[in-house]
Parts: sequence; C-alpha cells; structure tokens
Amino acid sequence: MTRIETGADGGRELDDLLAEARALEVVPSAALWARLAADAERERPRPRTVVPAVPPAPGGWRGWLRLLGGWPAVGGFVAATLAGIWIGAAPPTGVSSVLPSLWGEDVSVALGVDEDPLSLLEG
Amino acid sequence: MYQNPRAMPSAFQPVPALAIPQGDREGALLVAYANGDPEAAREIMAALAPRVLAQALRMLADRAEAEDVTQDAFLRLWRIAPEWRQGEAKVSTWLHRVTANLCTDRLRRRRRSVGLDEVAEPEDPAPSVAARMQGEARLRALSDALAQLPERQAQAVSLRHLEGLSNPEIAAVMEIGVEAVESLTARGKRALAALLRGRKAELGYDED
Repeated sequence: MTRIETGADGGRELDDLLAEARALEVVPSAALWARLAADAERERPRPRTVVPAVPPAPGGWRGWLRLLGGWPAVGGFVAATLAGIWIGAAPPTGVSSVLPSLWGEDVSVALGVDEDPLSLLEG
Repeated sequence: MYQNPRAMPSAFQPVPALAIPQGDREGALLVAYANGDPEAAREIMAALAPRVLAQALRMLADRAEAEDVTQDAFLRLWRIAPEWRQGEAKVSTWLHRVTANLCTDRLRRRRRSVGLDEVAEPEDPAPSVAARMQGEARLRALSDALAQLPERQAQAVSLRHLEGLSNPEIAAVMEIGVEAVESLTARGKRALAALLRGRKAELGYDED
C-alpha cells in the first residue's frame, strides 16, 4: 500500500471522490459465501486413493472360480478338455496323417541283440 | 454468516498449512487445494474474498455485479489451481488482475448500454437516506466515468487510487513496466477529472 498524492492532476473533488470509494468497506453476504463455497467444493480436485482393481477373491471354490476368470473361462477350459479327450480317443484322419510328419513314425530298434536271445543256444 | 475456517473439522489435510512460509501462504494453500484439501479453499476465501468483493464494488458501484465478479474470479482461481506454479505469482496479485479484467469487461458492456448522462438521480428521500443515496450516486458516477476510460487506464487508475497499490505492485498486476503504469495512471486520472468536471453539484460538491 502506498500514500496517494492528491490534487496534482485531478482536482480536490476527484481526490475526495476517490478517497470515498477507497474507504468503502464491504463484507461478503452469507449468500455469497455459500456460492463461493459451493463452487470451491464442486471444482476441488479429489485426492487420489488406491482402489484395488479387482476385489479380493473369497475363499473356497468360488475363489478359485474367480481367479480362473469366472464362468466363461471355466466354460472354455471344459470345452478344450473335452476336445482333447475326443481327439485322443478317436483322432480324425487329418490328425493321424499329419502327426507322423510332425513326430515321425514309431520305430523299434534292437541294439546288437537278436530279437530272440534263446535262438543262439539252439543249434 | 461465514465461520472461522479453522473451526471447521477436516478429516483430510494432505499439506500442513502451518508449515507454509509467510508471504506465499495463499499460493501454498492453492497447491494444497489442487491436491484435494477442502480446508485450503476456505482459508483462501476467508483471506481474499472480502478484498476481491471490495475491489469489484469500488469499480462497478453495483453490489450484485460485484458479487458476480467475485464468484467468477474465484471460479477461475479454482480451475487454474492444478496448473498453479508456486513462487511465480502471488494469488492476491493474480486475483487483482482477474478482478480488474472482469470489471472492465462489465464496464465496457455498461458503456454500450448506458451513457454517462443517464445516471439515475435520487428523488425526494429522507435526509439520512438522501445522504446514503448521494454517496451511492457519487460512487456510481465515478464507476460510470471509469467506464468511459480506455480499459488499461481504468485498471491502472482503479488499482492506484481505489485499491491504493504502489506502482510496482500495479506493474506486477498488469504485467507491464513501472513507467507504463505511471503514464497510464496520470493520463487516466486527467481523463477522469475531465469527465467528472462540471458535475460537482450533481455529485454533492459545492460549485464555487
């Protein structure tokens, strides 16, 4: 704040008028406080809180079910398992013809021993 | 009526307000508000809302308009809070600037709609009421004369002669040099005197 020079360039009346305005004191009304407070609260950024992305799984088989991904995931597991059993028990022709090229044919190898070791003793 | 903000309980206070250094208290409180502290907003309002309202009322001479300006200025403050950089500017300086801009916006609209010669005159009131209304009419005449000035002159004159700020303080508010402030206030005050000359009787001063 500073001292205000008077009378230099505006005349005494203007200085009086400016001083009168400067001396004006005003107290915000309760209604204005309420408006200000409502704005401040509405615009206030909310503090960040750590919220777990997935609620903790309850115990028991329901917990396991939730860990696996719920009923849709279990449905997928069951379908894949049944398909594997079916293919294993009755492989389709496409599978039986492709498998040897991937894994090779079944081969029996006898190293240095005749198939019938008793045949050496026979005359 | 507004209560002491310190008396209000707060369950959440991320920044200890008492640890804030003096001189930049409102800036630190604004940062605390941006971090979600509701108590900080109450303290800022308690410290600065009366000042903003008074500045607007002195420039506009209209209570309802001054209250709207105060609300608008604080709304802008809350919205800028997340980007507020503590130490670059004081909140009070920023509010002086925003309030002055909002007021000159309104004075510009008033200048378009109401001429200086159309200020309402009080009609046959009781003596005490007459004195009050005379005072209000004077302040309104001053406000209407400010509306006739170029906006930067009106801001500089009001900050100097209505708010009582020093030239360096005005320079910080208006983001200009001190010499420019001196020029604006001198020209503005001369223009203001010319606008109000010849209205002494109307303003309640003796014409002699």
